Amino acid sequence: MDGRLSVNNLILRQGKTFSLKVSQLELLPRRIYALTGPNGAGKSTLLKLLAFLTVPQQGTIRISGCHGGLGAQRRQVTLVEQSPYLLDGTVADNLVYGLKLRSITGRERQQRIDSALQRVGLAGFAQRRSDELSGGETQRVALARALALQPKVLLLDEPTANFDNMSLAIFDELLRTLPDEGITVIFSTHDPSQPERLRGETIRIDNGRLLNTPHRVKTSGNLPRNEKRPWPEALNMYAR
Amino acid sequence: MGYLGDSLVTAIELIFSFDREVQMTVWTSLYTSSTAIVIAPALGIPIGLWLALSRFRGRQLAISLLNTLMALPTVVIGLLLFGLFSRQGPLGPFGLLFTPWAMIAGQVVLATPIVANLVLAAVTGADNRIINTALTLGASQFQAALQLLREIRFGVMASIIAGFGRVVAEVGVAMMLGGNIRNSTRTMTTAIALETSKGEFSFGLALGIVLMTVALLVNLGLNILQQR
Repeated sequence: MDGRLSVNNLILRQGKTFSLKVSQLELLPRRIYALTGPNGAGKSTLLKLLAFLTVPQQGTIRISGCHGGLGAQRRQVTLVEQSPYLLDGTVADNLVYGLKLRSITGRERQQRIDSALQRVGLAGFAQRRSDELSGGETQRVALARALALQPKVLLLDEPTANFDNMSLAIFDELLRTLPDEGITVIFSTHDPSQPERLRGETIRIDNGRLLNTPHRVKTSGNLPRNEKRPWPEALNMYAR
Repeated sequence: MGYLGDSLVTAIELIFSFDREVQMTVWTSLYTSSTAIVIAPALGIPIGLWLALSRFRGRQLAISLLNTLMALPTVVIGLLLFGLFSRQGPLGPFGLLFTPWAMIAGQVVLATPIVANLVLAAVTGADNRIINTALTLGASQFQAALQLLREIRFGVMASIIAGFGRVVAEVGVAMMLGGNIRNSTRTMTTAIALETSKGEFSFGLALGIVLMTVALLVNLGLNILQQR
């Protein structure tokens, strides 16, 4: 399963005024895509469609190599919303939920939890209650929860909206490593320089219509490929 | 001490002497109401969940009907089920009329709309990101609905307690379907009505005190859950 997302003749109408139409869109595996556009352009709506959380009135979204139904396709894709919801319980409970649904148990489960929390700089947070976390920590737990599932496609809805520059750099670094792990990253952003920093391809959207097919943003220099680096502890204060 | 004072002392004596008649009546009440409140959520929770989460033509009508059922007088429920359970009725051959099971059936009909309505309110008021969060983490629709119930569990428990409070204190269903038979279908409420009309005010008062205590405990539990 390579995780190529294909969108064909998609139409979604919401209310009387908004409609999203995508005649064709191919999103290749192991790439980073940035959805850009003004507020209300349809970025979040498109991400929910790609996450198989919203069913369009017309058209299809397929993930290559996945022959199951909606549930099977949904398990290949994980969405982290702009304002994520953490389930009642501890941070570990949140990470366990999706792993349990995939029957991942024992040592592998624990390894995935530890690794995901470490990557977002929350090692040692496993037993913290989810309702005691700050906004930045909540965002990072939601990201760890998605990373632990090792999805083929990771969708992020304005993940860095509340980050300062330091946290943003670290977050970018984390995202850049994901294609090497076989994960396609699609994120929405208002930051015009972020696609370039991530060596991603930009998809511009306005008023529910795609304004371009994905194209790679030219980078100004060679950006380093990074190993799986944990979120430096010193930066935690910026993300909180 | 006067009529009321003497009656109160006798009533307290009856309670603390563990009078067999009082015990049997309290047991019948708690047994039938508890059984009903085990069955009613099994029906009411899925109904409330379904009405809250699904969108279909006639949904508003269904919700209005549920609200109406909440306000249905107990004697009307008793009357309808009497027709079903009486010898000439469709369920007559089962011989359920004037048994605890007939009372339980009536109480289930009484409590189910209450549980369904309060679950509907709890789901409607719940964070609308819960379902999508569960789905994107890999849950099926059913698993996501279960997770939603887990997240609003205090609201669900409050609905069950409210249903119990309603059925333990009702008279109409117990009177019409149970028949107020001693040591079989006599509940606290029907016994209070009967004994008081016979002039046994102290006995009625003793049961009234127990019933009030049960109602108080139920409402205390409800308040604790609603504050969480």
